[in-house]
Amino acid sequence: MTLKTKALAASVAFSALMTAPAFADDPIKVGVLHSLSGTMAISETTLKDTMLMLIEEQNKKGGINGRMIEAVVVDPASDWPLFAEKARELLTVEDVDVIFGSWTSVSRKSALPVLEELNGLMFYPVQYEGEESSKNVFYTGAAPNQQAIPATDYFLDELGVEKFALLGTDYVYPRTTNNILESYLQEKGIPAEDIFVNYTPFGHSDWSKIVADVVALGADGKKVGVISTINGDANIGFYKELAAAGVSADDIPVVAFSVGEEELSGLDTTNLVGHLAAWNYFQSADSELNDAFIEQWKAFAGDERVTNDPMEAHVIGFNMYVKAVEAAGTTDVDAVREAMYGLEVPNLTGGTAVMLPNHHLAKPVLIGEIQADGQFDIISQTEEVPGDAWTDFLPESAILKSDWKDLGCGMYNTETETCVQIQSNY
Amino acid sequence: MRHLIAVLTALALLLPGLVQAQDESGPLQALLQDHGPAIVKSSRKTVQPTIDALAASDLDGIQQVLQAWQAREIWQRKSDSLFFYGSEVAKRTYRLTDIDSGAVVGEYPKKELKQVKPNSGVQALIGTALVQFQLSDPDADLRAAALTAIERAPAPELLAPLRASIPDEPDAALKTRKQRLATLLTIRFGADTATRLAAIDAVSGDLGVDVRATLNPLLETSRHVADGTVPEGVNLAGLPKLEPLVAYDLIAAQGLAPARIDAAGIRTALGDHIQDGTVGGVPLGALSDPAKRLTAYDALAAAGTVQPRVTQTDIDAALTRFTIYDAYAEPDPAITGAAEQALSQIELNVGMNQALDLSLDALSLASIYFLAAIGLAITFGVMGVINMAHGEFIMMGAYTGYVIQLIIPDYTLSILVAIPVAFAVTFGAGVAMERLVIRWLYHRPLETLLATFGISIALQQLAKNIFGTQARPLTAPAWLDGAWVLNDVVSISYIRIAIFVLALIFLAVFLFIMNRTRLGLETRAVTQNPRMAGSMGINPDRVNMLTFGLGSGIAGIAGVAIGLYAKVTSELGSDYIVQSFMTVVVGGVGNIWGTLLGASMIGFLQKGIEWLNPSNTLAAQTYMILFIILFIQFRPRGIIALKGRAAGD
Repeated sequence: MTLKTKALAASVAFSALMTAPAFADDPIKVGVLHSLSGTMAISETTLKDTMLMLIEEQNKKGGINGRMIEAVVVDPASDWPLFAEKARELLTVEDVDVIFGSWTSVSRKSALPVLEELNGLMFYPVQYEGEESSKNVFYTGAAPNQQAIPATDYFLDELGVEKFALLGTDYVYPRTTNNILESYLQEKGIPAEDIFVNYTPFGHSDWSKIVADVVALGADGKKVGVISTINGDANIGFYKELAAAGVSADDIPVVAFSVGEEELSGLDTTNLVGHLAAWNYFQSADSELNDAFIEQWKAFAGDERVTNDPMEAHVIGFNMYVKAVEAAGTTDVDAVREAMYGLEVPNLTGGTAVMLPNHHLAKPVLIGEIQADGQFDIISQTEEVPGDAWTDFLPESAILKSDWKDLGCGMYNTETETCVQIQSNY
Repeated sequence: MRHLIAVLTALALLLPGLVQAQDESGPLQALLQDHGPAIVKSSRKTVQPTIDALAASDLDGIQQVLQAWQAREIWQRKSDSLFFYGSEVAKRTYRLTDIDSGAVVGEYPKKELKQVKPNSGVQALIGTALVQFQLSDPDADLRAAALTAIERAPAPELLAPLRASIPDEPDAALKTRKQRLATLLTIRFGADTATRLAAIDAVSGDLGVDVRATLNPLLETSRHVADGTVPEGVNLAGLPKLEPLVAYDLIAAQGLAPARIDAAGIRTALGDHIQDGTVGGVPLGALSDPAKRLTAYDALAAAGTVQPRVTQTDIDAALTRFTIYDAYAEPDPAITGAAEQALSQIELNVGMNQALDLSLDALSLASIYFLAAIGLAITFGVMGVINMAHGEFIMMGAYTGYVIQLIIPDYTLSILVAIPVAFAVTFGAGVAMERLVIRWLYHRPLETLLATFGISIALQQLAKNIFGTQARPLTAPAWLDGAWVLNDVVSISYIRIAIFVLALIFLAVFLFIMNRTRLGLETRAVTQNPRMAGSMGINPDRVNMLTFGLGSGIAGIAGVAIGLYAKVTSELGSDYIVQSFMTVVVGGVGNIWGTLLGASMIGFLQKGIEWLNPSNTLAAQTYMILFIILFIQFRPRGIIALKGRAAGD
């Protein structure tokens, strides 16, 4: 009940905001589908707040094409099947024009069939495992070639890591990413026995044995590195155990794909200095746009709050959506989608994000070291890398590509030159 | 030299019009400018020549430059690309110091500067280059840094300077470390066999990861193929037993024999030589039969158009002619023999210690489960109330700890205060819940279950509303940081030891209260027969209230402990509720020793299964629950089943 009350309260708040100016058109309804409770709340609540802030700002500027924007917030409660139900509720009961939402891949996969059935439109803001391109989803987070692969290259080339521990939470993103990485590492000459893989449940807290296993990997004189796809609050126990075991980042570096400023704010980082994270954005990025965004965010959400990569993804996604609706002159899903391709908006790290026909963005890859204040020191930043929906490092997907603009297909086999399937129920 | 530069720089500063810009830069600056781009955009793969050039320059102060570069304290002024030492004086403002003269150049806003940021790979390379300067540095921290650099990147040229620095080392701890490191380097890079053997002997039985990391590379082997017998002078590791086909492929891969052609290869070859609907005299239609394909291929081979197939005779001939052997990269058989022996000794030792480490982990997990369950052992075990909100009492305790830390910044004091406060808060919450809800529902377990489950959800949401959904830090005092390290294999974090001790204390407290106090006596009396107890002048209402409060209060203290080692979120309680019930039920309801045994069994079982299946912790938990279900089938009343009247119904 409380969840619904919350959503109700939010919509009441927004309708109160909007009763002041009189307007002829109906508002544009934006659905926000982020878990506000459960294990992923640690990460997703911030994204809900980000959306509310962006919508508020846009409304101050007069909305889109003179139409105000109204947020419809629902809570799928980290319960993956509930994402499908809530997505259906947003599209059929609330009649939203667009949805911004999801964090874990399993929640996205759960909502996908509903989005495709009802021809909805969703912006998905989190780095993910790729191997997917839905007509109805724009992936504003990183594909593996924009995060996992560059980070692994950094391990191989810059840190000289010879032995890898791939630790992940047990669900689709870590498993697929680790599959890609295993095959990539073997291609790079790392033998299979030098790759240690472990999966733990969501919210896992007993890490002592796993950390001991990782330390023991160094016994044959090779440099060990950890690639972590651990999600949500399990990270806290993991990093605490790592610090207790005295694992220095210079001896066994850990690069995390799901740990950002937000997750670090829940723990004492003095013992974690030097461990790494790979993202497309860090709060410490040096640009005027970023400074302005951080200031705006702190004014909206509170001084102690931090910004992170999925937030930037929502900023880019939302700005693109605004531009696309302005260009299309309507919120009709197909028209907006057509207008999205090739759109350019500035990203917060000082470059430009471009929407590609495969529904992914071109973004720079940043690698940062954890500092004592919970922020990241950016030590490597690439040019914009175009997102690749189908990885080139698994033989079965290397031949696939996605092009919704010209080919109208998200799973196109370049060898047989046919569209394998339109729907993304793979 | 340095004074001269200082004077020159001072002159340059005084008379800017007279001195050319180039003359301003001293030798260090000039050297850095020569390597400017490589320093600013450094990569581990390309930076080595630059580091070597700097280290070999013999300039005064080059050690400071390298150290500052490693510590990311060098800044580049964007306007003229000159390098300076930089230090932050105010937010986004840095004071620059001239590299040659040490004179302060001025304060600059961050946007006019660029920090030189070597990544940790480059930092390690700089560290190695610094070893020669730092090994005998007066600063003990720098000497330790040099040793760390050697440990991370052992190299033959470091052995001599390391040995030379040992006699003059004043610090005893560093001296031991240097000696150990020298031994390890000798094993790898020592000049003659005798010293290396002595060094291997010295570390034999040592559990250190670094020792194994030194010995293992000595035993690295590679596979070779020899024409005839194994050549002289090879340090033979063994003759592998291979399947004939695998062995043949290996020989073929060396180019010593023609490669075997597989079905796909035959198919391609046949496809390439189709003539008038036949291949090698076989019509295309018949080619679906594999035997026919072989005939066709052999016909082509006989005509000389394709390579002939490799026959069994060819394989046998190749196998008798060639020898496949594994050879050590290390040429000296005495060394590899000694290393192997030392390692096998170490491995046995490591195995035993790993078992010990696993047992410690299991014990720690058991104590965590026990601590989480001990409150439940009172409310569920003794009173028989199915309290689904037990986990939320744990959570409440953890949040109390967090709030206390906000008020009292000293971590030690705050934890000491937090424990009684957490007890008080959850005791109060427990009493309130008992008064308002549970006392109306005694002997109606289903309703109790539903009501307390509802309360649990409500409490979780309340915590979310108050504290937000972010995990909150509950930081352990500094003296609980780190781990108790027995050796490189066996170690356990202090926080887990503290939890273990806390669990023991609570076991004692529980036993004391139940067996030695009036409350305990009354509790036992009321749970066994409330009416009889009532007629003896005991107020069952009051006893129930206090007992429930006590159980809840202990859960609160467990919450502080669990929050210290894991995380403080609103879901903290629900992570432990299942394990807590499992512990109490498996152990035997109503008996604290049963709870202890239950926790130990679950802890050891979980770690044991994790050891068998290291790559999937989730699967380990699933197997454990399956085992528990089976166990309950055979001992439905748990490990220690109460008998007679104490068993109640």
